[in-house]
Amino acid sequence: MDDDRVDLRPLDPTRDADRFARTVGRIMAGAAPGLVRRRARVTPIGTVVRWWRPTLALAAALTLAAVGVLVEVQDTAVATEPQTAGVAEALGIPTAMSPWLTSEGPPTAAQVFQALQEAQ
Amino acid sequence: MIETRQLVERARRGDAGAFERLVRAFYRAAYAAALARTGNPMDAEDVVQESFVKALERLDECDPDRFGAWLLTIVRNRAHNMREHERVRAGDPLETMAAAGPDRTDRAVEQHELGAALTKALATLPDVQREIVLLHDLEGWKHREIAKSLGISEVMARQHLFQARRTLRVALGGPEMKEYLHG
Repeated sequence: MDDDRVDLRPLDPTRDADRFARTVGRIMAGAAPGLVRRRARVTPIGTVVRWWRPTLALAAALTLAAVGVLVEVQDTAVATEPQTAGVAEALGIPTAMSPWLTSEGPPTAAQVFQALQEAQ
Repeated sequence: MIETRQLVERARRGDAGAFERLVRAFYRAAYAAALARTGNPMDAEDVVQESFVKALERLDECDPDRFGAWLLTIVRNRAHNMREHERVRAGDPLETMAAAGPDRTDRAVEQHELGAALTKALATLPDVQREIVLLHDLEGWKHREIAKSLGISEVMARQHLFQARRTLRVALGGPEMKEYLHG
């Protein structure tokens, strides 16, 4: 079947070397801006330029998440404090002594004396 | 294939030399696909030029081992778009062939006339047959490559080529053409 081929060489666009060279030149001229952009992407500055937008977006997202977590923690802390005071009050412990419930060490003698005075 | 892969990877990094080698290596195949769709050599050239620029823009989407088939898909799409656009603009494709200027040699004029006759004959073929005969007989692609590029079986590609050649011979039926075709 292949011996039966039709000679299509008159249609060969590369047959006229000068014309083909001009055609390739036009394509390369059209592609030049794209090639420049691609070269810029592989240089260190180009890499920074390429990544600064996603990096900025990621930083903004992390900031928002951090703010969200801080607000949540703060709300929890605020909600916890009155609860401690409320428990102390229910147990009949003087208000001045309620911070001792959450403190890690025992109260000093001066604190005990001051609390007793305030209770009277 | 390995070389094509390397050229694609280098072109992705903006290597103009690599991209130019891709253009030179795949120009005829792209032109064959474009001519098959547009039926007009000048339009085919425009389509190929635009397609290479578009291919560079989208080079990151391409599997470097399938650059040729991927490029031809872009060419076909652009040729299709151009043809749709051209439908509103009636015209004889042969009139837009490169004109034979006064300083051209007899040989050049003869080539021009043969090219015009071939273009006219090719216009009688269905798109798929036109592309197959151009890729096979002009660009030298194997049936396997053509079948893969067009998404058809090799057997079908062979049948289309056989039909295309037969139709072309009928269309190019004049005695001078017979002499030319049989060398």
